[in-house]
Amino acid sequence: MTLLSETVQYAISGITAGSIYAVIGICWSVVYLITKVLNFTTGEFVMLGGMLTWAFHTMGFGLPSSVLFAVACTIAISMLLERLVIRPIRFPTEMTYMMLTIASASVIKGLVLLQWGSESRRIEPFFGSGVIHFFGAGVTPQVLCVVAIMTLITLGLHLFLNHTLFGTALRASAINQTGAKLMGIDIGRFRLFCFGLAGGLGAVTGIVTAPITFTGYEIGLLTGLKGLVAAIAGGWSMTGTVAAALALGLLEGFGAGFVSSGLKDVLALIVMILFLILQTISFPGLRRR
Amino acid sequence: MNSKHRFSLLWVVFIVGLAVLPFVTPGTYVIGVMCFVAFYATLACGMAVLLEQAGIFSLAAPTFFGLGAYVAGILAAREILPPWAGIIFAALVVAAIAYIIGAPLLRLRGYYLACATFGLLFIVEIALAQSGEITGGHDGLMGIPPLSVVGFTLRGDFHYYFVSWVLCLGCLWFFFNMMNSRVGRAIKALHDSEVAASSVAINVPRFKLKVFVLTAVMASFAGSLYCFYLQFTTPSMFGFPLLVELLTMIVIGGATTLYGPVLGSVVLIWLREAIHVYLKGILPKLTAEVDAVFFGVLIVAILIFMPEGLAGGLDRLAHFGRRLLGKSA
Repeated sequence: MTLLSETVQYAISGITAGSIYAVIGICWSVVYLITKVLNFTTGEFVMLGGMLTWAFHTMGFGLPSSVLFAVACTIAISMLLERLVIRPIRFPTEMTYMMLTIASASVIKGLVLLQWGSESRRIEPFFGSGVIHFFGAGVTPQVLCVVAIMTLITLGLHLFLNHTLFGTALRASAINQTGAKLMGIDIGRFRLFCFGLAGGLGAVTGIVTAPITFTGYEIGLLTGLKGLVAAIAGGWSMTGTVAAALALGLLEGFGAGFVSSGLKDVLALIVMILFLILQTISFPGLRRR
Repeated sequence: MNSKHRFSLLWVVFIVGLAVLPFVTPGTYVIGVMCFVAFYATLACGMAVLLEQAGIFSLAAPTFFGLGAYVAGILAAREILPPWAGIIFAALVVAAIAYIIGAPLLRLRGYYLACATFGLLFIVEIALAQSGEITGGHDGLMGIPPLSVVGFTLRGDFHYYFVSWVLCLGCLWFFFNMMNSRVGRAIKALHDSEVAASSVAINVPRFKLKVFVLTAVMASFAGSLYCFYLQFTTPSMFGFPLLVELLTMIVIGGATTLYGPVLGSVVLIWLREAIHVYLKGILPKLTAEVDAVFFGVLIVAILIFMPEGLAGGLDRLAHFGRRLLGKSA
């Protein structure tokens, strides 16, 4: 392999990973902005999507119907989570929210482990397993499918949030809850909707990536955390998250290719910590208002 | 009887009970489990001081626990330092690391600090698993010699029972005195309002860093002893499941008091043992992740139905009882 083809190959894997992180990052920020809950179960929704599809598929359902069931189940689970775990808290603080979602994440993870064991699972690729050659690098149709679906989701969300009444109301309640309430917006319903949206998007992400990377009970946390890195680095805004996610994905792709694949997970987390630290430093002369 | 007096009486009963326990229970099973309780209680106590008293939302306790275990374990297994010196060296190393990490990280607050320390948890776990030549990688660090101090070798649960509980009670005593001193009052003040605290000349970053490093050192001591007790460590012992367990202990016990986490760790470890004994037949693969299901449900249930935890519940019960007695007398 030449250096060019290697570079292209790593860039492709980076962009694929980046588009996945972008959608996961949007899942985090949708929930965070409306409910102020940092939802650590986001990664588990990704895992649930893949695992449920695999489970339904092995039970004998066709691929499209098992995908549909899996997404529906994940949405239901995430809405139940909001209803039964997040909402009943009387005096919520950031700490209780975080403990609750970490606890829920470990419950989901453990139940999946109990039900389906610790083996890695794989779903068949949606469009066959041919390889398209491109500058000497190979691309499978599944990779193109992932990037396409992630782009579609992002664009669709962008249109939904900016060009529909419901989306505008969502943005309004993210900016000022009291104001939104005074305008007759039902915040409780929106919270439920946001959790459902995050669950659904997470599940779709998990399903389309399952044919490329294996899915298993333990993938949730790290995948979710990388989405969180993108969301934090992107300042919780959509364009920011997408840009940060792509940068993170490329960094990881090249890092895994040229440095070490074992430490590529560490790379993203170090980026997050450095980014958080950099935010707190105010340089003289560059002080924010 | 004033409240301080009654308080110390309770402690005397507790300590005497602990001291008598190994002589009245048959076999080593109970003592072995109580060793775990002591290690976890030390760790949970430090974490609760950070979370509730100081308001520093740090999830790094398992990291420092693991680092303490690994540094002491590696030094002893490679015969670079004798075990007792390894423990002290590990504490120094962890203190240095906590200082270097804490100085920039403690400027963050709330969720961001939690995210950063959560990331740290994974970084350390992955780094320990990946650097196989030094740490033994995923398979774990083997060949840790037993702990020996000036010719006296600690062997078996019986010895470690006393050492671990001395450490745990020592930490409790230390934190108790600290929280009733100038430092402790400053920490409580900065938990309530950092602006108000700094307006009465409390150096907020310095006090935060101080308590962060102190709890890290406590965690390191507990970790070092833990690795000599088990004579074996793996990176996954210090990962996410441990964090869930610690959070459960703090939530069960209630973090507003110092003895809450100790109570929580007693309840949690015995609950874990009960799960392992009684559910062995139903659930064949009992790993830390499966335990975490029960603990997760427990966290949610307690946060919803009993937010103050057991210690808060007991306090309320005592208050109720006192009022009842006062009325009848």
